[in-house]
Amino acid sequence: MAEDQSIYWNPILETLPREKLRQLQVRKFKRIFDWAYNNSPFYKKLYQDAGLEPGDIKTYGDIIKVPKIDKGMLREVQSRPPFPYGDMLAVPLQQVTEFRQTSGTTGTPVYQADTWQDWEWWAECWAYILYAQGYRDTDRVFIPFGYNIFVAFWAGHYAAEKLGCEVVPGGVLDTEARILKMQELKCTAFMATPTYVLGMADTARKIGIDPKTIGIKRITCAGEPGASIPATKKRIENAWGAKVYDHIGATEIGAWSYMCTFQSKGLHVNEAFFLVEIEDVETGEIIDQPGRDGKMIITAFDRMGKPCIRFDSKDVIRWADYTCDCGRTFRIIDGGVVGRADDITKVKGVLLAPTAIEEVVRSLGELSDEYEVIVIKKGDIDDILLKIEIRPGFEKQEADILNRLKDQLRIKTNLGYKIEIHPYESLPRYALKAKRFKDLRPH
Amino acid sequence: MTGEYNLAEMDKQIRKIREAAEELLKIGGGIEAVKKNLARLLASTKMLELNISDAKEFV
Repeated sequence: MAEDQSIYWNPILETLPREKLRQLQVRKFKRIFDWAYNNSPFYKKLYQDAGLEPGDIKTYGDIIKVPKIDKGMLREVQSRPPFPYGDMLAVPLQQVTEFRQTSGTTGTPVYQADTWQDWEWWAECWAYILYAQGYRDTDRVFIPFGYNIFVAFWAGHYAAEKLGCEVVPGGVLDTEARILKMQELKCTAFMATPTYVLGMADTARKIGIDPKTIGIKRITCAGEPGASIPATKKRIENAWGAKVYDHIGATEIGAWSYMCTFQSKGLHVNEAFFLVEIEDVETGEIIDQPGRDGKMIITAFDRMGKPCIRFDSKDVIRWADYTCDCGRTFRIIDGGVVGRADDITKVKGVLLAPTAIEEVVRSLGELSDEYEVIVIKKGDIDDILLKIEIRPGFEKQEADILNRLKDQLRIKTNLGYKIEIHPYESLPRYALKAKRFKDLRPH
Repeated sequence: MTGEYNLAEMDKQIRKIREAAEELLKIGGGIEAVKKNLARLLASTKMLELNISDAKEFV
């Protein structure tokens, strides 16, 4: 454990010995399992059909008997009452105080119900994150976010307030106005998707402001894997002169993972609030050893309104084979979410993860932050088209840039690409989740 | 390190907060201003339970 206790939001839970943490997790799993069985018609039927009832979960080894849920099930329950959430709900509708929905990146949005207690819990989860990333009551935090039906930075806002930070809501302002407001108020931190953080830096430069001069000390990213991709993280840190931290969460799960100020390569899992299991995609075996990729099955122990128990998130992660010097006993996932089980696709017979392409593109300083990947089928052959932009001033080096890009892509992904150069700033820019990978092959 | 914290006493005080809130709810005469503010107080109390009470027997 680090000697300085002030680095922890809760030194008791964050440094609990591993075996004690495991005992705590089993107890909390039993509690949410029993709650869901007794209060949610959906979960009761799911567990009855599997021959399980309260009291059946006694040990960690029993947890694997509990049926998983997936996003398709979350969507399907919405066709049943109570409107609009369906019978996964475990509280009377009048106790629901918060509506949010998923972004719909992978299909029909899922509607998420939270009680006021659940909303306190969201802020609590984020409080662990922000405190670990150095946010304190001396910070003035800007939130350049549209405050809408997506949960995104709502919970970050409430958590920053909980920490005692001064929070500036950057709601309906456009990007230029947000930058000017951050500059005027001497904000010290902000939160956004990595795509938007880079876009803000571009906009700042266009209006004659070097982002480094604004005085931002820390940036928390979420919504996309960028801040866990070393080249993207470095690009953001260089642009803003600030420390950049990744955080992972999801509307239907909660905020479950975060980088801390000690800046290891990975993210801590808040194991006092979540159970993360990693499942081998082929065999279904639960992976405990470091370094092996698998998809995440996650349980939120304390979300009561619409429980999330053994949710098959399709996010691909792996346990790290290193620890963090911060002293937290929470386990670390290496490199964040490294892909999606439904995103990693075979192209020309080779497994391709879109994050590998981003790592290459963002490592070349002559290229802009934007790119687009389109996979098509010509006859029986897959083709990958990569659209890029070259930054102003580097146009004459085009041939050299293309050669290096092709070489790196081949080394990192074992695939060849058709590369199109587009005029600077002509590719789409995104404020929330970017959609840069398009698989247009017939399925 | 965790030995430096008196978790048993902290948990005792948290339980007192919950009991007082629940008692106030009973005698609140159904006043909305009492009920709804207590709902918020109890939600915050739950966060104390998650942080302290849940951990007390594991340290």
